[in-house]
Amino acid sequence: MDQLLRPRRMIATTGLALGALVVVMLTCSLIGSENVSLKAVFSGSGDQSKANPDYEIFVRVRLPRIVLAGLVGAALACSGVVFQALLRNPLADPYILGISSGAGLGAIIAVVGGLNWTLWGRSPIAVFAFAGALGTVWLVWSIGRLTGKFHVTGLLLAGVVVNAFFSAVIMFLTSIAKSEQVYSTIFWLMGNMAEEDLLVLWVGAGCVAGGIVALFFISPQLNALSFGAEDARSMGVNIARIRTIAFAIAAGITAIAVSLSGLIGFVGLIVPHAVRLVFGPDHRQMVPLSGVVGAIFLVVADTLARTIIAPAQLPVGVVTAILGGPVFLVLLVKHSRKVGWVK
Amino acid sequence: MSGIIHVQNLSFGYTTKSLVLKDISFSVPSGGFLAIAGPNGAGKSTLLNLICGALTPRSGTIIIDAAPIESYSTRTLAAKVAVVRQESVPIFGFSVVETVLMARTPYFGTAGFESQADREIVQDALELTDTAGFASRPLTSLSSGERQRVFIARALAQNSPILLLDEPTSFLDLKHQVGIYDLLKAAQFGKGKTIVAVTHDINLACQYCDQALLLGTDGLSRHGPVSEVLSTEQIENVFGVEIFAGRIGQEGFFMPLGKLAKDRARIEAKTGNS
Repeated sequence: MDQLLRPRRMIATTGLALGALVVVMLTCSLIGSENVSLKAVFSGSGDQSKANPDYEIFVRVRLPRIVLAGLVGAALACSGVVFQALLRNPLADPYILGISSGAGLGAIIAVVGGLNWTLWGRSPIAVFAFAGALGTVWLVWSIGRLTGKFHVTGLLLAGVVVNAFFSAVIMFLTSIAKSEQVYSTIFWLMGNMAEEDLLVLWVGAGCVAGGIVALFFISPQLNALSFGAEDARSMGVNIARIRTIAFAIAAGITAIAVSLSGLIGFVGLIVPHAVRLVFGPDHRQMVPLSGVVGAIFLVVADTLARTIIAPAQLPVGVVTAILGGPVFLVLLVKHSRKVGWVK
Repeated sequence: MSGIIHVQNLSFGYTTKSLVLKDISFSVPSGGFLAIAGPNGAGKSTLLNLICGALTPRSGTIIIDAAPIESYSTRTLAAKVAVVRQESVPIFGFSVVETVLMARTPYFGTAGFESQADREIVQDALELTDTAGFASRPLTSLSSGERQRVFIARALAQNSPILLLDEPTSFLDLKHQVGIYDLLKAAQFGKGKTIVAVTHDINLACQYCDQALLLGTDGLSRHGPVSEVLSTEQIENVFGVEIFAGRIGQEGFFMPLGKLAKDRARIEAKTGNS
């Protein structure tokens, strides 16, 4: 009985992780091509005649970007947790049901179409990517339902096929696009952070945080569901309801992340695994902790992306894979006895 | 209408053209132990899935504890009926105690944690199934026999009056087979559980069960006390094999002998049949 997850331990671990996140965010916001001193930042924005450059850089450049990295990391990691549990597949990640190709298709349509309006301060790329992501998940989900209520294989196959189809359309559009359009699309597809409007960020962060809290409340049911739908149902879990809620939230927060930062790979796959390897598979712990660890991971990765070859910048997706791969392999070898799928 | 499980004129088919189960009627008294036997494809597991609400009948009624099965929600039905399916292994490395605790999921508080009462129920189930000794080990590190006990523990932790099992001993050696049936019998007597087990092991069914339901591929069923239903003639008919029967004390045992079985050849040589 002592091995069971207790609320106090769950809160303590998550609290510690949140503390680490704050420290990491603060540290990373002081790192960059310009030196920023925290003391100067706290002295305020300065008066009109003489603006305080430290404050300007910190508040208008660094902070938004770090908040963005954190919210995208948290969203992708939690969404990965949900998809791995629902699909009962350790290879699942947030993009497995076609969100990536749907968002990519939306983005490239916006680029090739030469759209240049804005909606609530958002570029057409972001708006189209968001719509494309959600539309694709809805399409895959509907096809999956036709193949049977309890079987995830149909859903997975539908996701794979829709992914392949949309990727082909993306390549077709890329091949007929002008070269500067192609460049901006590829840059977007690689996953890229940019300084965002603060209001958009806070709304996005609010939605993601709300989604993660909601996921926490269905996390015991996610535990049961990882034994399969029929087992979960006979234990009294309303699987149709839990699945719909979990899919909707996971798809929603992924769509938000993707529309803000493009396709950042790897976070949604390895962060859930890393957390599971170290802390065990209980989703009550997995959901909050993966969110925090995902945020820390992406904040660090993005800081590296903007400093390694400064003043130029790397796409953050490149860093997540290069940084995350080895770290994950070390964890895998060290902790593999704890988890079933590497037996 | 008597019995905690009461099935009346039940028919079911996966396609509109054919029926797997035709006009099945039986009832299980509270505290009874029913074996469902029959050849592959006779619809044993299908019947189990109907009784636990995973499938909806084409026609007929299923009454669980005096209420029609449609009147239950997923949650209230799980409080009446617990199911042990064949070998299910989760993809993540949950430990034994975590697995058994999942039976209490519908009763967790809003924050998603179990109460002290839930923990006591789980402890009881672990002790009854003799799994408390390896409660912290991951399921994947257990043998089939141990894992089957864990899933029975999880079903017991649901605290439901009815326990359904789908071939609980199919992958187990002799010792573990009787171990599982002893455990079920203890739950029947000690906790007053009503048990329905789908089984291929007719001999164990004779030794442990009170009633039997023999399903044939013809869609017909025979229901009654084990000693009546599991007779040489019925088994030969339903399974389409020749049976050599014997008796241990009160209960019978049945041994199928195929064309090339050693004793079969000897018997035929002696009697001069070919």
